Amino acid sequence: MSQGKFAHSLGIRHLVCGSCNGCELEMNALAAPQYDVSQEGWGIVASPRHADVITVTGPMSDAMRHAAQLTVEAVSEPFVVVAVGDCASGDGVWCEAGSAGPGAGRELEASIFVRGCPPSPDALREGLRAAATLLDGRKS
Amino acid sequence: MANNYRERPVALGELRGAVDELISNALPLGCYASQRTVRTIFLSQTGPLGLRTVLGEGEKWESLARRYPFFSYHEREMQALQGIDVQSSPDERPLYFSSDAIPEAIVAEGKGISGVVVGPVHAGIIEPGRFTISTGGESVVHIDAQLSYSHRALEPWFEGQEALALAPRVARICGNCSVARSWGYARAIEELAGVDLDDGTEFARLVLAEMERVHVHLFDIGSIAAGAGYDRGTTAALGLRERICQLNHLVSGHRLLFDSVVPGGVKAGILADPEIIRTTLRELRDDVARFCDALLAKRSLLRRLEGAGVVERSLAQRFAAVGPSGRASGIACDIRAIAPYGAYRGFAFSEELAGGGDVYARAELRVREIARSFDFLERGLRELEGRRLPTPRQVEVAAGVITTVVEGARGAESISLALSATGRIERLHVISAAYRNWPLVTRAMEGNIVPDFPLVNKSFNLCYSCVDR
Ligand code: SF4
Repeated sequence: MSQGKFAHSLGIRHLVCGSCNGCELEMNALAAPQYDVSQEGWGIVASPRHADVITVTGPMSDAMRHAAQLTVEAVSEPFVVVAVGDCASGDGVWCEAGSAGPGAGRELEASIFVRGCPPSPDALREGLRAAATLLDGRKS
Repeated sequence: MANNYRERPVALGELRGAVDELISNALPLGCYASQRTVRTIFLSQTGPLGLRTVLGEGEKWESLARRYPFFSYHEREMQALQGIDVQSSPDERPLYFSSDAIPEAIVAEGKGISGVVVGPVHAGIIEPGRFTISTGGESVVHIDAQLSYSHRALEPWFEGQEALALAPRVARICGNCSVARSWGYARAIEELAGVDLDDGTEFARLVLAEMERVHVHLFDIGSIAAGAGYDRGTTAALGLRERICQLNHLVSGHRLLFDSVVPGGVKAGILADPEIIRTTLRELRDDVARFCDALLAKRSLLRRLEGAGVVERSLAQRFAAVGPSGRASGIACDIRAIAPYGAYRGFAFSEELAGGGDVYARAELRVREIARSFDFLERGLRELEGRRLPTPRQVEVAAGVITTVVEGARGAESISLALSATGRIERLHVISAAYRNWPLVTRAMEGNIVPDFPLVNKSFNLCYSCVDR
């Protein structure tokens, strides 16, 4: 487990790119007292400019592509993109649909892929911890 | 169950009259096109009814939305996806778009009016939508909601796929209404095939659907607390909901119950120990009741909820509102009561209603509905005790056209399905409660202050994924 600074201070911006909302339900569950990640200093931030981590779900819908790219461009280094769920990871149920891409995490060059349809809150917490570890390695 | 969907041909020139006649005593469910055939669907006293209108080459569809604004999304969809030419539509913008051609928002103009745009990416864990808010001082004059950012063109892609193999995808069209949608889809296939299910399976489906309703209602109540800035309420609601999700996992192997209802029955091995589930639910029921009572007794919270985002009954009626949002404005629209299906047929059930139409009414109604769900769960699980649920039946898929409707947590969820003799999808059209209710959210905000938008929006808490598809 990461012991660096990011382990206790992670600003998360969440991007939904054609998800079914199941992944969002489990991301929201992280705020339940059973997990309560705010106690670890993690939270959803109001702007990509404040973010250390971009979590992304869905196969990447055509309509979201541009806004998603702008969001990632707005984040300052160091940051990590985390693909949440099978759709974002590239082999979810929607990855071959009409106006969907091959996984939003693949398009946005995610470094971490949290698998599951949807991933459990425990898996999500592990994924975010791994992101903190990566960030601690990258920080200048 | 036999197929109780009926349809009759109605010529284009006679459609308006037929709709005028039906709309006063049947719930309109929308209209959709399969190539050049448009079906306008109602839920009548005898079940779903379709008016089938075939458009000749070059013939145009005369907009129903001009008189019945409820049809606007439906018409914009068939224009965008099936290329139906819609005449004199009140909103001609395409319902779907790609990143390089986002439709312009409709904004109010006038002295002292200014605008704010939020989205499609938001500061939360929520689905994408762009809201263009025209304001006069602090008050909202008009909101333009641009959805469709999650559009994946699912319906055209479904065509030609095998109906039975598609079930896991149907379960994932939207995570909030998965059980309800799977149930509607299973019923469509089963009713076309004339398959009857055993009582145990029907009770199991009812139990699963009510567990979904409880977790979604708790989430929505927590979201209302969040919209009002009462974080403690949100955390507590999420904590109670988490207990349901853990129970879901225990009974079905999936925290959100995906794939628990399948064509021909319920997932094998599900709900294996009804007694344990009942005991867990009884404890949970007490805790939920305590939490909800305390929440709705909190005066500082009530001051935010009362009078915010009012939807008058007449407005709800004009837009054929469904689900808790419709019932909070006094509209009787609970499919479990008005067109009972499955095990609901055996229950004497009168739906919960409220009159206020404000955020408070939508919250308080959900609290009452949760209590009713626990009643259903108690009785359904008692029925399951000592029964061994069969593994799903093999269904011989039969050709035909059908619409089914079930009551999801957010309201009427309909599935319109056309199957070929080889068991493949000719057309699968999915219309969700959220699709029906979205236009209400924007109207509920008119005259409210801008900072109440999250609160009013969360009091509907509509999904996007099943709207955008
Ligand atoms: S991975 Fe599963 S839960 Fe997540 S968005 Fe895709 S279908 Fe929904």
